[in-house]
Amino acid sequence: MMRIPAIRCFVIMIAALGIVATPTAQAPAWREAQPGYTFAFPRDHASHPDYRVEWWYYTGNLDAADGRRFGYQVTFFRVGIDPAPENPSRWAVRDIYMTHVAIGDPSGRRYRAAERINRAGPGIAGAATDRYHVWNDDWSASRDTDGRHTIHVVAADLGVDLQIDEGRPPTINGSDGISRKGNEQGNASHYYSLTRMPTRGTIALDDEEIAVTGESWMDREFGTSFLEADQVGWDWLALQLSDGRDLMIYQLRRRAGSADVHSSGTLTDADGQVRHLSSSDFSLTPTGTTYRSPTSGATYPIGWRVEVPREAIALTVSTPLPAQELDFSRTTGVAYWEGLVDVHGTGRNGATIGGRGFLEMTGYAGSLGRFLSTPR
Amino acid sequence: MTRLFLAFVLRTLATERLRTATTIVGVALGVAVILAIQLANASAVRGFETALDAMSGRTSIEIVGAGAGLDEMQVPALGWLRAFGVVSPVIEGEMAAVFPDGRAEAMRVLGVDVLRDTSIRDYRVVADAGGTPTAEASVARLLELLTSPRAVVIAATFADRHGLRPGDALRLASGDRVVPFTVTAILADEGPARVLDGNFVLMDIAAAQLAFDRLGRLDRLDVRLADGIEVSDALAAITARLPAGFEAQRPARRGEQVERMLAAFHMNLTALSWIALVVGLFLVYNTVTTSVVARRREIGVLRAVGATRTQVVALFLGEAMVFGVAGAALGIGLARVLADAAIALTSSTVSTLYVATAAVAPAIGGWHLALAAGIGVPLSLVAAAIPAREAARVPPTAAIGGADRIAPRAAATWRSLAWSAALLALAGWLSTRGPVGRVPVFGYLAALAIVAGAARLVPAVMRGLARVSRTPLRRGFGVEGLLAHANLSTAIPRASISIAALAVALSMLVAIAVMIGSFRETVRYWVGQTLQADLFVSPGVRAVPGTEQTLSPDVTAAIAAHPDVVATDTFRNMDITYAGERVVLGSGTFTVVAAHGSLLFKSPADGLAALRAAIGRDAVIVSEAFSTKFHVHPGDTITLDTPAGPRPFAVTAVYYDYATERGVIMMDRATFTRHFGDLAPTGLSAYVRPGADPETTRRAILADLPEARRIFIYTNRSLRDEILRIFDSTFAITYALELIAIVVAMLGVAATLLTLAIERRRDLWLLRLVGAEPRQVRRMVVIEAALMGAVSQAIGLVMGLALSLILIYVINVQSFGWTIQFHLPWLFLAQASLAVIVATALAGTYPARLAAAGRDDGSV
Repeated sequence: MMRIPAIRCFVIMIAALGIVATPTAQAPAWREAQPGYTFAFPRDHASHPDYRVEWWYYTGNLDAADGRRFGYQVTFFRVGIDPAPENPSRWAVRDIYMTHVAIGDPSGRRYRAAERINRAGPGIAGAATDRYHVWNDDWSASRDTDGRHTIHVVAADLGVDLQIDEGRPPTINGSDGISRKGNEQGNASHYYSLTRMPTRGTIALDDEEIAVTGESWMDREFGTSFLEADQVGWDWLALQLSDGRDLMIYQLRRRAGSADVHSSGTLTDADGQVRHLSSSDFSLTPTGTTYRSPTSGATYPIGWRVEVPREAIALTVSTPLPAQELDFSRTTGVAYWEGLVDVHGTGRNGATIGGRGFLEMTGYAGSLGRFLSTPR
Repeated sequence: MTRLFLAFVLRTLATERLRTATTIVGVALGVAVILAIQLANASAVRGFETALDAMSGRTSIEIVGAGAGLDEMQVPALGWLRAFGVVSPVIEGEMAAVFPDGRAEAMRVLGVDVLRDTSIRDYRVVADAGGTPTAEASVARLLELLTSPRAVVIAATFADRHGLRPGDALRLASGDRVVPFTVTAILADEGPARVLDGNFVLMDIAAAQLAFDRLGRLDRLDVRLADGIEVSDALAAITARLPAGFEAQRPARRGEQVERMLAAFHMNLTALSWIALVVGLFLVYNTVTTSVVARRREIGVLRAVGATRTQVVALFLGEAMVFGVAGAALGIGLARVLADAAIALTSSTVSTLYVATAAVAPAIGGWHLALAAGIGVPLSLVAAAIPAREAARVPPTAAIGGADRIAPRAAATWRSLAWSAALLALAGWLSTRGPVGRVPVFGYLAALAIVAGAARLVPAVMRGLARVSRTPLRRGFGVEGLLAHANLSTAIPRASISIAALAVALSMLVAIAVMIGSFRETVRYWVGQTLQADLFVSPGVRAVPGTEQTLSPDVTAAIAAHPDVVATDTFRNMDITYAGERVVLGSGTFTVVAAHGSLLFKSPADGLAALRAAIGRDAVIVSEAFSTKFHVHPGDTITLDTPAGPRPFAVTAVYYDYATERGVIMMDRATFTRHFGDLAPTGLSAYVRPGADPETTRRAILADLPEARRIFIYTNRSLRDEILRIFDSTFAITYALELIAIVVAMLGVAATLLTLAIERRRDLWLLRLVGAEPRQVRRMVVIEAALMGAVSQAIGLVMGLALSLILIYVINVQSFGWTIQFHLPWLFLAQASLAVIVATALAGTYPARLAAAGRDDGSV
């Protein structure tokens, strides 16, 4: 069927249009992420349409009353195509909106995912600029005036209906207002996280509706150009540690196999103190445990060793559910691993710490996966 | 019996090749005409449905709106449709591809969101100059539609025809706008790309909205149901939930609407096509009769040696069977040729007046073979039954004894007259009956009763003529005239059949000529009364019904601002559905219409007051065809589906309109805008200042037009000519069918004269013996032929005038709902009468030669 390769190519095309910055790219009419940016909230939750790309990225570990645990992911992407279409039609394509949703169920060995892709049209999809409200058909995420986020994303065999409080104040990643991804000027984004968000609501999995509570992590990023040509993918971790600290780390992989110097991370203390980690401050190495996806054929290193010597952090990351690959390679051409993980290790003074979190690995399923998301 | 059949029937058929061939050709023509019209009728609907199928793809349900499409702002609220399957918004219409040399080709344009639409329709991009693209790379080409505002994808057949390749420019005209596009990909010949022989353009929905001037609205939403959902269930569920102003339907419904729209047109062609066959059957009757006469002696011998009456009947029916089978077989072959001609003659009418369609000639299939055999064979047998029964009645001794002439039962004159009177009275009664559905069944029956009644009168008329014509004939043509009179007088029963046959064919010609002549005069008068403006402007892409072509504001403004132009009036037409049928909804400025008196009202008496009464409120005026079709009269209220739901509209007047039989509802511009939105005009009429030459103004306006604009401007004079040209082309098929019927009838006259020559071969021989020159015998027979033609034409004229009344006042009114003023085309009828007499005289020359050379050997 034609639909399948069609949208796959769409992703290639979006990539070609500039998510990957190329030196020959025309002077962009899109605004670039520049140093010195001052974040303001709740303003920066709302859409920033003058940047080419932005997303609202929720992941979280949830618990049901019966003791079962679940992982969920809901992502709203906006990808700019033409900042000022000459055609006055409402269907003229300024942006493309993509939404991904997934739920992992380690005890039931289940993993479900769905996606949606639309142009704005006469209000079919969109993102408000005066408040946080993004939607794609009847899927939506928003924030009310009290600061509570609501996600409503119901697909055929899974659904996410959650109320999420912001919890700790936003953590600004990177330095000087930008999270740098490459050597080129402008290959950067404005990036903040809400690292520990009290969450309650219901999820649906197959025909079951389950009341859940737990903690979410929201990543919010906007910018215009991100990756460079020889950056093939990244490994990203968002960990909520039992000692109250939250750790985000991403490592960009270069074509040559080496880690990129622009890899970085952020450590947020329980009191909201934030410390930027540069690539020399941490190491992220596979433990050797792998998962091979039967559908995309990609092999993912699902076990990791995380060390942040300066902070006396040494952790092992593992997952109770190896099969957490969002495989849209047959539809949007995107396949990446995104799932719940557990951490065990030692913290300050050798104290044992645990925790939960999410691991994302891109660029393992051919060359396509890297185009959709970019490192955060 | 088989051997007897071979010897008795087939041998004679073989030796009398000419008579056999004439008869078979007659039957074949009749069968062929009927088949050809069936094929031509099917081709219009089939052309539409083939295109519909190709364009619908896997759509099982479509959501349409009342009025001009649906308001796109309602689409997000219809998100619940997602539960039923994939929903794809669609813009579809006609554009013209404009080539550098000025030529233009009609294109079917589809505007969709390829992100969704690829689930509904198949688009396969073919390799281009760059080599064979991978599936992914090729589809990336489709996705360029999203990112390049001027990108279009075209079909390979069209691209090949015009040498177009990806990267080439393609100028497309929509309405009065010429828009440059760039071809980004070529589609394989499948799915929608097959439509109109590849004249297909795929573009993004946004580009289509802009190019068609349909910003803010969609033509429809196509829904591909998810697996396991029944169409009928979904249709009911969706219909129950749709807000007012929306409707869910199967795509095939549009095909059904077209079929219904064309029904009356097709019905009348079908009825016409039967005339040729009826005339052809007279031929069979004639030929079998000839055969019976020629072989009287053989029949006598057969009977004397023990053949039963049944066997004799069977022999002659066998002969008719040969005619029927051979005629049907030949007819099928001939139908293919005639069908192409019929399609050529009808398709432009269909496209001009009803719906944009590329006629697709259906292949001749089993059904057509069955139809041909089912018509040709049994009817030939019926036609042969009467002479066959006569043959069976031949007493053995009488036949052998040599009394050559059959004594046909001279039906008692009074009985014949009584039958005629009864049939004509029946015709009168039938013509007062209403239609069945919308088919004038009783009208056709009345026509049939008139034909049957008048045909019954032929012998009596001939006897009467025989009594009064002896002296004039002797004076005019001397001894040959006298002899011709004597011969025909004695052969009245036999000649009556041929004369009746020819008269029937001619009466149809007369009736149709009178009807068309009256119609044409009526239209001329109407055009003269209603076409008041000096210039008429329409978009450069010819507006075919069902598609929408509009004028841009800059064009209407430029025309209005031209120094020679003193007033302009824009109008807007579009198709809407009323009571399940496609009708035309039009709007104009009623104050201007009233001021220029450019409408002719049927009712009420003060039409202008009624027109003014329709201004400023929810009121309309309707065309006569609409009034007749839907039984709507002034004072009634009709309910129209508007984008805001059904709304009542008062009908204040009925006006005459001959532009379309589909029915027109007209409302004042302000009323239209209030309910259907401020839509761009589809036409404009302009008045020039006194003293200005419209043609000069026309040229000046066209010369000032920017490159990106394309319009047609008619002057009053040229539009009148154009209307009459369309009128004439519409009736070309009618004349063609009539001519075929007349050719068949002429064959009949020739065959009858042959029969008479055989019957009288002994008399003719005697004439020669007593000293008649062959020249004189020839002259005599030609006079006979001309006399038969004259009598046929005289009877045909009377019968035809009666039929024309039925056509004009019953069949036309019930089928199309038009008032036609009776008008006699004197000149045409006089010319036709002369032509018929000359033609029958010419048809008599061959029998005349045979008669002059006649020998008493039982053959001719």
